[in-house]
Amino acid sequence: MMEMSERLVLLLPEIIMLAGAIVVSVLGLSRGSVLRGAVPLATMATLAAALIATVLVHDPERAAAAGLPLPMLGLYGRALVASIGLLLVAVTIGSVDRRLEEAFAKGLAPFDPIRVLGGEFHAFLLFSLAGAMLVTVASDLIWLFLAIELSSLPTYIMVATSRGSRRAQEAAVKYFFLGAMSTAIMLYGFAMLYGAAGSLELLQIQAAFLGGAGETPIAVLGVLMVVIGLCFKITAVPMHFYAPDVYEGASVPVTAFLSFVPKATGMFVLMSILAAVGWSADLDSPSLPPNIEAVLWMIAALTMTLGNLGALLQRSVKRMMAYSSIAHSGYMLVGIVAGPAFGGYDAVLLYLLVYGVTNVAVFGAIASIERRGQEIDSFDDLAGLRIRHPWAAAMLALGAGSLIGMPPLLGFWGKLDLFVAGLGAGQTELVVLMAVNSAVSAWYYLRLAGPPTIAPAGPQADSIERVPSRWPLVTAVAAGFGLFLLPLVLDPISKAASVAGPPPIAAAEEAASTSAPIDPAG
Amino acid sequence: MTTSTLLAVQLDTYLPVLLIFVMAAGFAVVNIVASHLIGPRKQAAVKGMPYESGMNPIEGARKRFNVRFYILAMTFLVFDVEIIFLYPWAVTFTQLGPRSPEGVLFLGRILFFIAMSVVAYVYAWKKGVFRWD
Amino acid sequence: MTLLALLLAPLAAAIAIAIAPPRLSAWIATAGSIAAAAIAVLAAVQFPSWTSEVFWPDEVGPAVFGGFGITLELGLDGVSMLMVLLTVVLTAISVIGSYTAIDHRHREYYAWFMVLESSMLLAFMARDAVVFYIGYEFTLVPMFFLISIWGGPDRRPAAIKFFIFTFLASVLMLAGIVYVASRRAEWLGEWSFRIPDLVSYASTQLTAGEQFWVFLALMAAFAVKTPFFPVHSWLPLAHDQAPTAGSVILAGTLLKLGTYGAFRIGLPMAPLGGAELCNFFAILAILGILAAAMICWVQTDVKKLVAYSSVSHMGMLMLGMFALNPIGLQGSVLYFVNHGLSTGAMFLLIGMVYERFHTKDMNQLGGLASTMPVWSCFMIFFTLSSVGLPGLNGFVGEVLCLWGCFTAEHDTMAGYPGLLGPWYAIIAIVGLILGAMYLLRMLGKMVWGEVRTPAGHDHEHGSLPQDLTAREIGILVPLAALCLFIGLYPRPILESIDPAVRSVLAGYPDAVLRVRDAELAEGRSAEDAPTLVLVEDSSR
Repeated sequence: MMEMSERLVLLLPEIIMLAGAIVVSVLGLSRGSVLRGAVPLATMATLAAALIATVLVHDPERAAAAGLPLPMLGLYGRALVASIGLLLVAVTIGSVDRRLEEAFAKGLAPFDPIRVLGGEFHAFLLFSLAGAMLVTVASDLIWLFLAIELSSLPTYIMVATSRGSRRAQEAAVKYFFLGAMSTAIMLYGFAMLYGAAGSLELLQIQAAFLGGAGETPIAVLGVLMVVIGLCFKITAVPMHFYAPDVYEGASVPVTAFLSFVPKATGMFVLMSILAAVGWSADLDSPSLPPNIEAVLWMIAALTMTLGNLGALLQRSVKRMMAYSSIAHSGYMLVGIVAGPAFGGYDAVLLYLLVYGVTNVAVFGAIASIERRGQEIDSFDDLAGLRIRHPWAAAMLALGAGSLIGMPPLLGFWGKLDLFVAGLGAGQTELVVLMAVNSAVSAWYYLRLAGPPTIAPAGPQADSIERVPSRWPLVTAVAAGFGLFLLPLVLDPISKAASVAGPPPIAAAEEAASTSAPIDPAG
Repeated sequence: MTTSTLLAVQLDTYLPVLLIFVMAAGFAVVNIVASHLIGPRKQAAVKGMPYESGMNPIEGARKRFNVRFYILAMTFLVFDVEIIFLYPWAVTFTQLGPRSPEGVLFLGRILFFIAMSVVAYVYAWKKGVFRWD
Repeated sequence: MTLLALLLAPLAAAIAIAIAPPRLSAWIATAGSIAAAAIAVLAAVQFPSWTSEVFWPDEVGPAVFGGFGITLELGLDGVSMLMVLLTVVLTAISVIGSYTAIDHRHREYYAWFMVLESSMLLAFMARDAVVFYIGYEFTLVPMFFLISIWGGPDRRPAAIKFFIFTFLASVLMLAGIVYVASRRAEWLGEWSFRIPDLVSYASTQLTAGEQFWVFLALMAAFAVKTPFFPVHSWLPLAHDQAPTAGSVILAGTLLKLGTYGAFRIGLPMAPLGGAELCNFFAILAILGILAAAMICWVQTDVKKLVAYSSVSHMGMLMLGMFALNPIGLQGSVLYFVNHGLSTGAMFLLIGMVYERFHTKDMNQLGGLASTMPVWSCFMIFFTLSSVGLPGLNGFVGEVLCLWGCFTAEHDTMAGYPGLLGPWYAIIAIVGLILGAMYLLRMLGKMVWGEVRTPAGHDHEHGSLPQDLTAREIGILVPLAALCLFIGLYPRPILESIDPAVRSVLAGYPDAVLRVRDAELAEGRSAEDAPTLVLVEDSSR
């Protein structure tokens, strides 16, 4: 066990986040509009401080002593959440309480603390991000569960308060009830894991599973229920169906948040749990309980296929992005199925970065434009966007290119890494399926890239306005530059992401030294 | 490991799990059905009245109250419950020795707890929970 | 350094176009493409190894993704040098040829064109499979925009179909490449995506079954790009809708990316797969020759006709390649260049007519020999080159392809018997004859006969004179000169192709013999079952 003080140092980034959340929630109630306007900046400052703290307090020995199945996940995972979180906060600037603030500024309404939500919104955002960071350093099931809930609960409220419309309310209620159900399933799974292993500590569970506890039906069922429960967080089949409605109902910045943070949280938890029940790179022969690998295989295959088929049919950009998010979860699950020994976890971690940056580019661009005060949602509405908003159109095209996996953008390298991991682990069928799927996805991503950049001028294009805040577009452009600048520093990034297991070369050397040369004549 | 071999499940090992589900469902069903069947049923005017802590109900149940009642009530509940945490702490604190090394940490924890409550109080205040105009 | 400069010159031009005012776009693009051509010529002068199988310069580039050993390694041998020269020449000509054809969004048009050139050059110069893939794949983006913004009336579906077809197939190629690389990493314990490393591993260490699938995955991409018969349907549509310069580049160099990929990666990486599937692909190639030729018979749209004739010619090219002997392969590589020159020129010529009469329907045009004599001369010249008139470039390539095919079965020059036979060549010749007939029919309708112009067209050609301008003649003359040179004196080019061809075929004598043995064993098994076992044993 760790000393209390050591544990507190380990959790310094989360502590900063929670302190920041308190400050932000009170700051948001200030009478002065300047102070209220500083709320997003205070949120970003908190995230920046948490990012710096993550890097500064990182100490491999301390991490190793913390009893984590993936001791090095804390550094990359938390840094990833904090940096993408920074971008996501920047996208929200100017969208929360916009009408209300305009009314205050014009003197149409007196300041009313009950009605302003900016402080709460950003506090919840910080809580949710803190939860996502906390899962990377949770060493037992209780911690893990609390962290997951810390990350999920604020998102339900964020959806409900993001827009004044009924659709947002409906989306939030759907999201909340389905989320509660999935949490219950996951918690039931945790209970069964506890029953099977006799401990809540992840490392003890690992030891028990190595000792044969993983073969009992209760253990298999426990893992299965945890996986199914997590499918909700990562929008994977069979718990994916809520995504389009919820994404459509929430405002664009919240949709951007939903497409990254719960997914990252779910992936971190999935990796930790699977590492604890046997899918760990530290072990000589990593192996999951029987059937779980097959279930994951099927979830991956179904998720990417259904996600893509669904996306083909959409007319709304947000619904399309929801299905696309489902499909990308399927791609990431290929890395999970490949397992840490072949760099699968590393590929997933890299892909989370890729997906996060790309999504900020796309959603930032969509958040930066409106028509008569309404969000722009259908593909037809985007036609001719380039004429008055060339940068937004360019970012949509770039983002779509990266989501397709067009070289040399960032998305390509993410997919390449997943390909390598999947083929290394011998999952050829799954990789071919992924290849076909990502080719099919070009069809609907082209609708995101094409009309804004190609269509000629028209009244449709002229009526698109820019939102008052410049921040969404600036953030989108920053992310868009990241899409082709980050590949230049891919080496250090992928080294940082290879925290979940030995680098692929080492595993390969081991495999080469143990297996006999292949007979070319075979 | 191929998919097909993994899929070959020995279903009978899951029998205990199935039994748990069946028993849980059975328990619920039996209870509801049994109370319906064997419970005595006697109607009376007083018995049909909605329960309001022994008071005779006045007006319709759908009368609206000002939302501030609820906010205030919830705020009250939160702080009320927080006070409950102070009792066990106080009892344990007296049991520590006079110069116990844990003393400072022990005090620090409850001070942190109270500070958090104060922050919540400040938030509620600024949010206008206590205003009634 | 020269090669890096060659790669960056068009990119720099693209950036300059994006910054400069639109009226300068065309000039910057011209300067950029001519600079690239000059650098390419400089590289050709420096190039030390026209007649030996050495890549120049042979040095490892900067790491792109060091964990997987992906490096930006550029290098040229005889074949890729030819492809680079073809690319820069055709790009410069297309840029100059678009001055009057492009009437809106100049800046984007020329910027995309420069990006396209850079991307193609990257693919042709890459020595790393992933870098090759990047160049190969990225060509889709500029081409997508070129077709869908400046194309004909049906440009959207054409562009999308073009994008989806090629993208779908090339992702499979990436999977194939990664498969080989990951097997290699498992075997050697170090990652590398260098093409020579992958080739030397895959061709010797992978089993026949693996090579079969790897070859199929790679050829899926190259077959769509080339295009082969059943998956060709994107090409006529894309050609028909693309702007003239887009068609020129599409026919001239983009399709060659597919054949070049098959030559550089597909064939050498999986010889067992290549030998196993060689009949299959040869039959597809022949079907392509015949089917496209027959479709041409019913075309009245000249541009579509040339597009389908392109499918037919690519079939001939691939037939030569799958003869799997040095003669056929040499002819095939020479065909890369020939087809680029003559088909590119024909698209240019059709574009010139279209700019004047706004029609591509050959029933509405006629007697151009009297109204546009210079144009007609060039048209006749390039049509004959395309048909394969002896003395012009098309003839040399076609004859070598067919010769390779004819002699495959009893080849004394290659030193091993191939898998194709004279029948393949004979059927292909039928296709050739059909090709000559429909191209000449087109000439007959457009160039000779009574003078016809589209209804409602009152001889107003805008700013253009009736016959070709000096600029238009200026871009056609170099192409014509190259056609004539290759037709009369192909030896230096064939010599520069030869070493690469031999190294591509290095794994084939064994592979072909194994496949033949297996076929013989199958044939014999019908009469004498026990022999089968003996033959199978001896072949291992």
